[in-house]
Amino acid sequence: MAAGTRPRRRRAGLSTHRSSFSWGRHPALLAFLLLAGFAVSGVSGAVAYFLPAVTTALHVTGQKTTGHGGKATHPGATVTPPPPGQPFTVLLLGSDNDTKFSPSSVLTQTMILVRVDPATHHAVMLSIPRDLWVPLSTGGSAKIDAAYSYGGAAAAIQTVENNFNVTVNYWAWIGLGGLVGLVNQLGGVDLLAQMPILDVQYPSDLTGNNPYANQRIAILPGPQRLGGVNALTYVRSRHGDILEDIARGQKQQQLLVDIKDTAKLMNLADIPRIASSLAGEVRTNLSLSQISSVTALAHDFSNGDVTQIVMLGSDYRSQNINGQAALVPIWPAINSLIAQNFPPG
Amino acid sequence: MSSRQFLASLATVALMALFGYGVWAVLGTLQSRANHVVDPVQSQALLALPGTIYLAQGGSLYSLQGLHFTRLNTPPGNWVQVAPATGGDLLAVDKGNGYSDLYLLSPGGQVIRTLLQESSPKYFDNHFVYYPRVSPNGQSLFYAWNWIDPYANYNVDFEILSGPLSSPGSSTTVWSLSNLYYQGGDVEPLPLANGSLIYVKYATDTSTGAVYSQLALVTSPGAQPQYLTTPAQNCSEPALNPQGTEIAMICSNNQLQTSTLDLASWNGSSLGTLQELSSGPMAAMPTWAPNGQSLIFMNVPERALPFQLYWVPKASSAKPGAPQEVTQNLSLTATSAPVWYP
Repeated sequence: MAAGTRPRRRRAGLSTHRSSFSWGRHPALLAFLLLAGFAVSGVSGAVAYFLPAVTTALHVTGQKTTGHGGKATHPGATVTPPPPGQPFTVLLLGSDNDTKFSPSSVLTQTMILVRVDPATHHAVMLSIPRDLWVPLSTGGSAKIDAAYSYGGAAAAIQTVENNFNVTVNYWAWIGLGGLVGLVNQLGGVDLLAQMPILDVQYPSDLTGNNPYANQRIAILPGPQRLGGVNALTYVRSRHGDILEDIARGQKQQQLLVDIKDTAKLMNLADIPRIASSLAGEVRTNLSLSQISSVTALAHDFSNGDVTQIVMLGSDYRSQNINGQAALVPIWPAINSLIAQNFPPG
Repeated sequence: MSSRQFLASLATVALMALFGYGVWAVLGTLQSRANHVVDPVQSQALLALPGTIYLAQGGSLYSLQGLHFTRLNTPPGNWVQVAPATGGDLLAVDKGNGYSDLYLLSPGGQVIRTLLQESSPKYFDNHFVYYPRVSPNGQSLFYAWNWIDPYANYNVDFEILSGPLSSPGSSTTVWSLSNLYYQGGDVEPLPLANGSLIYVKYATDTSTGAVYSQLALVTSPGAQPQYLTTPAQNCSEPALNPQGTEIAMICSNNQLQTSTLDLASWNGSSLGTLQELSSGPMAAMPTWAPNGQSLIFMNVPERALPFQLYWVPKASSAKPGAPQEVTQNLSLTATSAPVWYP
C-alpha cells in the first residue's frame, strides 16, 4: 500500500450511500464513546462498591442535634464547629440498646468527653459515670445517663455543658451491635486485659428473645486478641469489678485507643465492609468531611498523646436517692479536673 | 445495522459491563490484608525449632514440628488452653457456654480422661477452670477456678486450687487467701519443686483506679504471700526455666497498650533485677525450651496485628539474642502458653 493512502473497508453488498453512518469514518467519536462507555461502567462498579458506605454515611453522619422525633426541644444545645486547627470537644455516647428499652429512649451507659488539640497533638478522655446525679437540661435531677433518654443528643450535650462548663462541638452515639460489628470488621483488636473479667450475671441480650436473660462470662487477663462480642464484654461487664462503672469507663477508653490503632491498618477499600456493620448503630453530627479530618488527625496521634481520666472516689460520694444508687458530684474536685484538662477555647 | 455490527456492539457492551464488575471486584481485593489469618496447617513456620511445640488457635490445638503444623485430633470443642502434663501427654481446657472443662489428652489430642468437669444444669454450679499446671513431682494438679461467694453472686473471683492429678476433684486444697473481693483474683499457678507455689494476684487500688498484677510466692496453702514484683511493674504469666534458676514473665509497667517480656534470676525466694528481653509491643506467655537455653513467647509484629510465635535464642545467657518471628499469618491464642516438649 502506498504511503499516505488510507485503507477503505467495504463489504460487498453493503450500501455506501453518503447519508448512511459509518463508524469507520468517525474513529475519534468511536474512541470517545468506547472510552466513555468503559469509564461509565468503571465508575458504576466503583459506585456499586462504595454505595453501602455512602448510604450508611448519609444516614449516620451530619445528624441534627435535636431531641427525639427531631424536635429542637433544647435550642441552647446547638453545637458549633470550632475554627480549623483549634481544639474541639466530642461527646461520645454509648447505649445498651437492647430490647429492654424503646429505641427512642435508651440510656447512655457510656459518656466520654474527648478534647482534641490539633496544635499540641494531645487528646484527653474523661469518662462521666452514668450514675452521676445532676440537674438535667430537660428539668429535674436524675442520673446523667437519663438525659439522652429524655431528650436525645441535644439534652445529653446540654446537660454535660451545663454541669461541667464545657463546650461540646461534636457528638457521636453507638449501640451495642455497632461496637461488636465495628470490632469484627476490623478483624479484632489487640487488648491488654487489665484483670480477669468474671461475671455470672452478664446480660445475654445480643441474641435470643429474652433481654433479661443472664450468662456467665470469663475474659482472661493479659495480652490477647478479642473479637467484637468479647471486646464488648470486656468494656460492658461490671459486676465482678470493685470499681464497677468507673472501671468500665477505664476499659472503654482503653478499647477506644486499641480501635484507633487497629483502624490505622485499614484503607479506603475497607470502608464499605466497616460501614455495613454500623448501619442503624451509629449516629453523629460530624459530617463526612469532618470525620475524614478527625480520622486523619487520629492517625497521627501516638498513644502517648492520649491522656485517659476517670472520676474516682474523691470526685463523688455514693448516696441512695429515691431508691437509686447514685453518685453525688463533689463539684470542687470535678471542676478542678475540668479546668485542668478541658480549658475553654 | 448489520448482524456483525450488532454482535460487535453487543460484545462491546458486555465488555463494558465486565469492566465495571472488574472494578468492583478489584476494589474488593484492595481491602487491608494486615489481619489476614490462615489455619496453621496451611502455613509453614519461618524457622525450625527442635522438638514439638503445642499451640492453640481459634478453638483448636496444633502441634508444630520442624516447619509443619498438625491439627490435634481432639473431640469437637472450643480448646482454649494447653499445658504440659506427664509422660508427653497434655492438659487442655475446653471452654463451653458459661463454664470450662479440663482434660488429659494424648499427644495426638485424644481424650485420656476428664480431669475436671465444671458444667452443671444448675446455673450457679457452673465454674470456669483455667491455667492447669502439674507439680514438678507429677502428683498434683494446680489450677485457677472461679468460686462463687454464697453471700454475693457477683463475687466470683479466681482462686488457686490443687488436687491429686489422678483425681483432681476428689480433694481440693485452696492456696489463695480468702479475701478475694471483686478484683479478678488469683491465676497462673506455678508449682515449685520445694512444694511452694508462685501465682499471679490481681488487685485494684481504689484510690487511684489502678489495676495491677503481682507475682506472689506462698510456701503453704492459704499462707500470706510474699510479693516478688511491685504493683508498678505489673507482671504476670511467669515461666520457670528447667534449671529452676530464672523466671521469664510479662510486665506492662502500668501501660494499657504494651507489654514486655522480662527475665529475672530466681534463688528460690526472691527475684533478681528484671531484664527486658522483648519490648513487645504485646508480649505474652513465655515458655522455656526443654534445655532451658532459649524460650518462645507470643507477640505481635506491630500494634493491632494478630499474635504470632516468637523465639528468643540464648535467653539465659548474658547476651540474649534478639527475638525472631517463628510464625506468620496466624492468630494464636495469646492467653495459652505454648507447650514445648523435646
